[in-house]
Amino acid sequence: MGKILTVRLARLVATLFAVSLLTFLLVEQLPGDPVTALLPPEALHDLETIERIRAELQLDDPALVRYGRWVTDALQGDLGKSYITDQRVADAIRDRIPVTMELALLATVIAAVLAVPIGAFSAYREGGRFDRMMSGFTTAALSIPAFVAAIFFIWLFTLKFNWLPSTGWNRITDKGLLANLKTAILPASALALAPLAINARLIRADMIGTLKEDYVLSARAKGLRDRYILMRHALRPSALTAITVFGLQLGGLIGGTVVIETVFALPGLGTRLISGIYQRDVMMIQGITLFVATVYVVVNTAVDLLYLALDPRIRRQ
Amino acid sequence: MSDSETVIQTGKSSSKRNGFLTAISEMPVVVKLALFWLVFIVTAAIYAQIDLLLNQALPLQDPFHQPFLFGDASPVEGPSADHVLGTDILSRDNLSRLIHGAWVSLIVAVTVVAFGIVFGGFIGAFVGYVRGRSETVVMAGLDVVLAFPPLVLLLALVSIYKVRNLTLIALVFGVLSIPTYVRIARASTLGIASREFIQAAEAIGTKRRSILFREIIPNIMPALLAYALISAGFVIVIEGTLSYLGLSVQIPQPTWGNMINEGRRDIRRTILPIFWPGLFLTLTVVSLNMLGDWVQQRVAVRSSAL
Repeated sequence: MGKILTVRLARLVATLFAVSLLTFLLVEQLPGDPVTALLPPEALHDLETIERIRAELQLDDPALVRYGRWVTDALQGDLGKSYITDQRVADAIRDRIPVTMELALLATVIAAVLAVPIGAFSAYREGGRFDRMMSGFTTAALSIPAFVAAIFFIWLFTLKFNWLPSTGWNRITDKGLLANLKTAILPASALALAPLAINARLIRADMIGTLKEDYVLSARAKGLRDRYILMRHALRPSALTAITVFGLQLGGLIGGTVVIETVFALPGLGTRLISGIYQRDVMMIQGITLFVATVYVVVNTAVDLLYLALDPRIRRQ
Repeated sequence: MSDSETVIQTGKSSSKRNGFLTAISEMPVVVKLALFWLVFIVTAAIYAQIDLLLNQALPLQDPFHQPFLFGDASPVEGPSADHVLGTDILSRDNLSRLIHGAWVSLIVAVTVVAFGIVFGGFIGAFVGYVRGRSETVVMAGLDVVLAFPPLVLLLALVSIYKVRNLTLIALVFGVLSIPTYVRIARASTLGIASREFIQAAEAIGTKRRSILFREIIPNIMPALLAYALISAGFVIVIEGTLSYLGLSVQIPQPTWGNMINEGRRDIRRTILPIFWPGLFLTLTVVSLNMLGDWVQQRVAVRSSAL
């Protein structure tokens, strides 16, 4: 276990280093000089000022030197300052991460909580009417793009039924949990569709195998009730796989919120990234991309390690 | 049922001769419908391009004509004889725009599959067969690319370009699709490389290059093709998402994603201009997924029988 841990952590550090380099190089390619974005058009002829600002921002250093500076600062939690809005990138992230995290977590919870009964019951009555209905549902849920589902939800639940607000966000700290959930439930549901379908399919396939095991047969022979067998005997062995998959999905959802936040106009990390792209805000794009990729890599590694720690066969080694 | 029995009885030769037709006749009804829808979309997209080449001589409404701007029509009409699926916010014909938009999805999907199979398939087979240092280097490089959430990497990449035309978008998607194909090709190669027929070929002194091209690559093709259909569905969704954000092919070129974006502004009045592209997107992806699942099952059966 200790050796696996060391190897994984070394690989994590190497990957993060490469990810930061790639992010820096990508955004370096943005056309246009950041200085021209900073100055009013009439000042663009003022070569002296341009020189002074370039020197101030240390833009004339070689790319590698600037990369080194950027990464060293990033390690200390400083991702630089937007040339456009003058906001510190780290502040922007801190300001907006709660929305994105809440959406991703809520979507993971929705997907996990609904997938267990759907998958378990489909497996229990394999080939039955419920199973076939759910197979149709999962195929549809996997195929409908999240942003299309999101817009459809807005149309249905806010314009047709007028149950929920269509856009905007209530912070828990300002308006309380209920008001917060009212604004979070639609985007989180749209986000949860695909992982829900994947989880339900996984649990179903896993349990169909488990239900054929001898110990399930002996539980039946003892006269235990079906529901008890399903939850106690059959679901438990599947839990390990399920936890791993849920965890991996959480990482993916942090990237997936980008478009959903835009559809619902939520003040999350994704909308900030998109507005950064529209404004060609180099520091903002670099900072947010690096942050999201880092979270993604770290979460994935953590889930991997958790799985190893939970699996008795590997733990014993 | 009787079809599959005859195939078994008559053996390999006849099933190979009519392989394609037999395959279609063995499909469940839903998969046949999926195939039908895909054929329809591809035909329609090509038809629209021919129409453009012929200066719109074919019977199809002009997707760019905006009678509303000239006071000739009101925006967002319902279905009528002239506009079978109605018109959008600028009173352009929905059906025509859908068909022209299909071209973008088609080109992106075809590019991704071609790049994936040609480059990804070759690289994966090569490193999977040769192993050694080249494998370590390639796989480490892939880990870095795959360490990004796909949409975020794509956003960072397209933000570099000021002009985003179809060629550029298709190329970006094509290059980004390579890593996953490399992984699949390598995994299948590792499964095949230790098998008897490869050992036999090595024992009689066949050159490694011809083993790679004659034995390994043909044998990993089925797995790659099954994944190709799934990946086509995946990139159509991602392209739609990018279009919706206004970061894919630029207007006035219609795409399913930017149609949804434009319809969004008028959602309080009508859902129709959003409904159609949403439906086309979903149906196309459902079809690709179902066909892909079906091919994958057949491949799995065949390789387990070997």
